Amino acid sequence: MEETRIGVYICNCGTNIAKVVDCEAVAEAMGKLPQVTVARVYKYMCSNPGQDMICQDIREHGLNRVVVAACSPRMHERTFRAAVQSAGLNPYLLEMANIREHCSWVHEEQDAATAKAMALTRSAVLRVAKHEPLEKMSADMCPFTLVIGGGIAGLTAALELADAGHGVYLVEKAGQLGGTLARDDLTAPYLDSARDLMTERLTRVGQNEKIQVFLGAEVKKLSGFIGNFNATIRTAAGNGTGEERSVDVGSVIVCTGYQEFDASRITHYGYGKLPNVITSFEFERMLRAGRIQTHEGRIPQYVAIVHCVGSRNREFHGYCSRVCCMTALKYAHEIKSAIPGVYVSDLYIDMHAFGKGHEDFYRHSSEVKTLFLMYGKNAHPVIRKAGRGDDGERLLEVNEQLSGEVIEIPADLVILMVGMEARQDAGEVARLVNISQDKDGWFIESHPKLDPVATTTEGIFIAGTCAAPKDIPDSVAQARAAAARILGKIAKEKIEIDAVFAEVNEDLCSGCRVCNELCPYSAIDFDPVRRRSHINSALCKACGACGAACPSGAIKARHFTDQQIFAQIEGVLS
Amino acid sequence: MSFQPKIVGFLCNWCSYAGADLAGTSRIHYPPNVRVIRVMCSARIDPTFVLKALQEGADGVLICGCHPGDCHYTEGNYKAMRRFPLLKRMLASFGIEDARVRLEWVSASEGQRFADIVSEMTEKIRALGPSTIKAKLNTDRVER
Amino acid sequence: MAIRVNPKLIEEIEKYGAEDVTKCYHCGNCSAVCPHSREPFVFPRKSMRNLQMGLEDKLKGSLEPWLCYYCGQCSEQCPRDAEPGETMMSLRRWLTSVYDFTGISQTFYRSWKAELFTILVVTVLTGIGFFLYGFSRGDIRTYGGPTAFLPSSTIHVFDWIMGGVLAALLAINAGRMWWFMVGRQKGLRIPFFAYLRKAYLLPLHFFTQKRYAMCERKGPWLVHLALMLSYFAMLVLIMFFLHEMQAGPRIDWRFHAVGYVASLGLIGATLYALHGRWRKRQTQYRHSHESDWIFLVLLLAVAVTGVLQHVFHRAGWDVAANVTYVVHLMGVVPMLVLEVPFSKWAHMVYRPLAMYFADLLVLARADKQNDASAELARKAGVA
Repeated sequence: MEETRIGVYICNCGTNIAKVVDCEAVAEAMGKLPQVTVARVYKYMCSNPGQDMICQDIREHGLNRVVVAACSPRMHERTFRAAVQSAGLNPYLLEMANIREHCSWVHEEQDAATAKAMALTRSAVLRVAKHEPLEKMSADMCPFTLVIGGGIAGLTAALELADAGHGVYLVEKAGQLGGTLARDDLTAPYLDSARDLMTERLTRVGQNEKIQVFLGAEVKKLSGFIGNFNATIRTAAGNGTGEERSVDVGSVIVCTGYQEFDASRITHYGYGKLPNVITSFEFERMLRAGRIQTHEGRIPQYVAIVHCVGSRNREFHGYCSRVCCMTALKYAHEIKSAIPGVYVSDLYIDMHAFGKGHEDFYRHSSEVKTLFLMYGKNAHPVIRKAGRGDDGERLLEVNEQLSGEVIEIPADLVILMVGMEARQDAGEVARLVNISQDKDGWFIESHPKLDPVATTTEGIFIAGTCAAPKDIPDSVAQARAAAARILGKIAKEKIEIDAVFAEVNEDLCSGCRVCNELCPYSAIDFDPVRRRSHINSALCKACGACGAACPSGAIKARHFTDQQIFAQIEGVLS
Repeated sequence: MSFQPKIVGFLCNWCSYAGADLAGTSRIHYPPNVRVIRVMCSARIDPTFVLKALQEGADGVLICGCHPGDCHYTEGNYKAMRRFPLLKRMLASFGIEDARVRLEWVSASEGQRFADIVSEMTEKIRALGPSTIKAKLNTDRVER
Repeated sequence: MAIRVNPKLIEEIEKYGAEDVTKCYHCGNCSAVCPHSREPFVFPRKSMRNLQMGLEDKLKGSLEPWLCYYCGQCSEQCPRDAEPGETMMSLRRWLTSVYDFTGISQTFYRSWKAELFTILVVTVLTGIGFFLYGFSRGDIRTYGGPTAFLPSSTIHVFDWIMGGVLAALLAINAGRMWWFMVGRQKGLRIPFFAYLRKAYLLPLHFFTQKRYAMCERKGPWLVHLALMLSYFAMLVLIMFFLHEMQAGPRIDWRFHAVGYVASLGLIGATLYALHGRWRKRQTQYRHSHESDWIFLVLLLAVAVTGVLQHVFHRAGWDVAANVTYVVHLMGVVPMLVLEVPFSKWAHMVYRPLAMYFADLLVLARADKQNDASAELARKAGVA
């Protein structure tokens, strides 16, 4: 067996480390350890000369293991791995010791900090001796994509992929494409026609040969891993019996959208009981039909719009549904243009005018004399019957915040801006594709800031309102982002599977199957013939849960083996 | 010179290690008694690691993971949460004081919390005194 | 008890110059920057809100518009260009018409054509009247003395009658102002003695305009003060010393001095305001309602003809002086009879009154609070 030759490098990090830790002493102590060939100190290890020093030593001294005691590995592990790789050493034969964030930056007393730095570095030295070279593997990337949901997000994603020349299977549960946008008349804030937007999308999708549309269909099963999924699509055929189709895809984009909050749940608005109290969706229908009128067929003289119905309310949904404020202003505009002399009052908690053109739209609504009335989060407006001789059929009583008075305003028509909520079947979809939902039922992205369209399951993407309430520009942006990610992977033609995963030593495996149910990624299956468990390395994310659980010690968590960790424990305590 | 406890800390990469890093970036000072070992997930912590640490002379062991519900691997911390009570009962039957082994949840934004936990644990163990396990055991090591 | 919102009121008050009120989204920057706004009279945001919601009753009884001097800083700060300064000005115009029991003020503000027409009618009638009078009993070539075209004794009596009428009108309107602001408020007790004790505030504010001096820019205060003091000086000269003013070369040098200074002040201030409204560089001059122009033009005409009349007389051109005198009167009469009680000039009464009432209200509320806490203390057996 080859002799272990370890190079240990202590970084000064300018004065960040050197001011508190006696790096020379640490280097000296490390130099005395068995298997350590060189131990050096340098000002900035991550700099080019620093990295070059390591590479030169690897070549000159025949080093086959490297320890860098410096900042957090979360900072520069990638840097040093690339550095050693350029010198011809396997990148996994490197270990870092964190003597900055966990040592020099948090301790004052020099002797104690130096002793700790020595312990941490020694620990890394003992560990790295047990490292093995690891190689990344690759698998094929199927260029087909499955898009679940045929709303604006799904249509956009499908077109983006198809225009790039790749096949798409677009599965829509309803009998027609379009989603919730197909029910809208105009869109805020520029008052573009939703119909025009939809027609453009639908025509292009219809004409594109690369997109296969399945209407009245659902995805019943999804198996495999990124680049190599297999989906079973079930279409409800006209005669009652279904038809199943199995397709191979490389990625999946989930665009299942949202459902509207049921306003009848808020009893004090009287929705469903009082006539002329309608939801925003019912109002859209009126707008599409071209006539705004009360239940009795009269033109309303006073219209009231109430924001945050079912949203920002701890009793129902605490979140903001994001689109309703601008939609409400859109209604104010449309009502004012349709009915001259109408009085529109807008009852809101806060005006969320966050996007492009929104503040101007808001200002314009006040210029056309919409009366804005602010109510408090915990004191909702109350709808009462108006008296005889009063203008308007109903009176809304509001504890109005901007004036500090309890006021009442007449209304012939009350429009409730109902919020968005996760669909009833969102849980089914989540389980189907193996993604998670947050406490409100929205699908969870891989990272809320840095990775908004990917999920923790590689190859499964989410776009549009199924992830969280958002407007059309954001849904389209996410759809195109997901498509772009997939196109990037397709362009590479092969999927790189990370070298760090868990593997079962079949000789030691007793077939107890304790590990099978532990894996959050369903990466472990059981071979009933050979009576051994097997881990799919492409699916495995290396959390190590199975490794800790195996009673036979048959599972090796690569790069975090028991031996390596025991070595670390010995190192910090000796 | 008062007794300086040696505490081994197992921190998960995504939350608690990042939280400890944040304590560093924020220059929050805490006692130098904890030595951190990084794992990818608190689910990786085999109870034998804890035993090994105590055997090698650790006066205390701190396991940190993501808050329940926030695990990078979805459910890893729940596994740690389930294993831990059993481990504690076993340790108690060995006569190991409750305060010596702790499981805490530290998120990536809780630098101060990490520092507070380390400070508190250090003082508690200092009051308990050194662990006598290493001395009592003979030098046979458990090897796998 | 919920207050009914009336969205129709804005359409009403737009006629008085409030154009951009609906743009206000209540950030409160205006009230924060206003040097006069402080508890319990915080403005202009609250006034904007009452106006947006059409709370007519609240607006009728509000003091805040009179505490505003239109320095224009609120309008400058407003992120929405809702022109709070101009809104307060329109509220002043509206309140003037509300206090006026005759309804003339309302007509004038809502229709500048009506105002102009009425002024012209009065002007023409005055002209005809005085020319007839003058020709009937005097010589147009004589300016002073008992055979004068317009003898000072007669004009003096005329002036006093006119003054009496206008004082009566103002007094009634001031009484209405008191009623809206103070009188009709239930549960508010202001002892009569308090009215007497605080009465000094009226002449104090009238003569010093000291609240105007609190604005950041002192220029407008000085100009306004000059205008008011000049006007008051001229008023005194004319009401009490008309005979001495028409004495020709034997005019006492003191009357000359006061007269010249006052005329300078009047003309200078009026030109300054006219220039400002034309150039629109200062915030408070960016918006001009027709009533603003009519007022200034009339005042300038009166001041200039007054000076010219004196100049002609001193130069010995008594015919010209007499003609100018009639023209002067053609301006004075509409100004005093129409502008003072029914238009902008009424501010000289309403503003000091508002300061006075403000003080009294604060006193009464403090008393009420003290009474309330005293009552509580008594009930608790402490006091």
